[in-house]
Amino acid sequence: MRSRFTGWVYAAAVLSFVHVTVGAQGGGGQSLPREANGRPDLSGIWQVMNHAAWNIQDQNAEPGPRETPWLGVPASRGVVEGNDIPYQPWARAKKAENDKNRLTLDPETNCYLPGVPRITYMPFPFQIIQTPTYIGVLYEYVHAIRNIYLDGSPHPEGPIEWWMGDSRGRWEGDSLVVSVKHFNADTWFDRAGNFHSEEMQLTERYTFVDRDTINYEVTVTDPKVFTRPWKMNMLLYRRKEPNVQLLEFSCYAFDGVAVGTRAKDQIGPEGGVR
Amino acid sequence: MRHRCFGSLVALVIGGWLLAAPTVAGQAAPAEKRWDPPRTADGQPDIQGHWSQRSDITTYSIQAGFVDRDEHTRIGGQAPQKGRPIVDPSDGMIPYQPWAVEKAKLHHSQHLKPSKPEFFDPVSRCFEEGVPRINYQGNMRILQFPTYIAILHDFGHHYRVIYLDGRPPIGDTLKLWMGDSRGRWEGNTLVVDVTNHNDKTWFDIVGSFHSDAMRVQERWTFAGPDRIDYLATIDDPNVFTRPWKLSVTLGRNKPEEQWENAVCEGNKAVHVAFDLPW
Repeated sequence: MRSRFTGWVYAAAVLSFVHVTVGAQGGGGQSLPREANGRPDLSGIWQVMNHAAWNIQDQNAEPGPRETPWLGVPASRGVVEGNDIPYQPWARAKKAENDKNRLTLDPETNCYLPGVPRITYMPFPFQIIQTPTYIGVLYEYVHAIRNIYLDGSPHPEGPIEWWMGDSRGRWEGDSLVVSVKHFNADTWFDRAGNFHSEEMQLTERYTFVDRDTINYEVTVTDPKVFTRPWKMNMLLYRRKEPNVQLLEFSCYAFDGVAVGTRAKDQIGPEGGVR
Repeated sequence: MRHRCFGSLVALVIGGWLLAAPTVAGQAAPAEKRWDPPRTADGQPDIQGHWSQRSDITTYSIQAGFVDRDEHTRIGGQAPQKGRPIVDPSDGMIPYQPWAVEKAKLHHSQHLKPSKPEFFDPVSRCFEEGVPRINYQGNMRILQFPTYIAILHDFGHHYRVIYLDGRPPIGDTLKLWMGDSRGRWEGNTLVVDVTNHNDKTWFDIVGSFHSDAMRVQERWTFAGPDRIDYLATIDDPNVFTRPWKLSVTLGRNKPEEQWENAVCEGNKAVHVAFDLPW
């Protein structure tokens, strides 16, 4: 019995080694889904399995409101490399202030377009559609769309301030590398008040770990707010339920969020004044 | 002889014209059906590209009659759009049940000076357009894949994913702004059943409406290299007395990059309408 058990353990160890080896091949593996032109095919429905939406750095569990304890903040390991965001001193103070007032200041409370990379790790699925010259990312959250042009075109000249920035992609081997710029200064990275300016530029790298897992790495550069570029790293998991499809989370239309239904909106008997 | 010959020639020409006229008209549809469109690698008629309506339709009011259009022109200073999208019933009017006629009248009477936000055009409030309204709103990009078709609209980053893989629709209790779409090809026509609508979208600014029991069947007929004939059959037993049909011709546009169209962020329409704090 004992030796058979040991045998199983040994077999399992070998198998897991093999699995790791195949995984490490990443883009080089034969089993990856590929387009007709040989590029990795990222098409599908994906979602993170982390709590970066709450805090991209290490986070302790926090209680929710007494009546709704399930709305507490979950504990999580951060997704920032080294867990340190190199804020300039004034910016570190502003981040702390943002965090303290997050219930009113977080742009998420308006359900506006959450910007990049925040939209990637919102707790909702997103769908990648792919052609040789274009990748579209359709998000369930506020039906955001990212248009990633792969036709070699440059960023428009600007200055432009878009919520979701302008995305231009290229392939480096089996990694999709996307340059994103032309942001506004009105989006945050998370619910903990981490922020950037309109000078932010991103370099994203999407690399298959295996056919159902993508490694997502994003380098953030913003000389107005940070002292140096810094990185986030996380996995995107393929949603494999046979009936999975995007639904909708148009929270800007919810009563209480939609203008005219907010607590501060008092509408008199006269109604509108158009 | 000469005269008779001339006479015969005239008769022949006229006869030929008389014959030819209906024949040409009658042949138009079969000729289009014979048209063999380009195909995607997996064999679908390839309708990919950028499209928008060529039917001169305003989203102000889809019902027949120019009174509303003139009002729209007065308010917006736009050239009047006189297209009439409703092709059935032939009077161009939505066949409302009696109670619904009253509700539509209420919406219409409120649309310039709404007493409550819910009487304000949902699209002006930055809510999603719904189907079919989005199809007469602006440019769309169609992308095709073996198991689904994606439509990306310029307006307000609306998108639709139309599954072609035969999967059943989602459960009845799920309600969506843009509905749930299942498609199939019948020759050169993409037939899409759109279900699971919520009851919050309107067909136009003046408040033509439906309930969450609405079902829309769309027929996207690829009629020529640069033309799609769009026909939507709209049924809602809670609101209408019978199904009705809305027709829009789509024309091909020059491909252009789709850039951000953030309609909620910074939208002050409701703030201004009701004098609300920013």
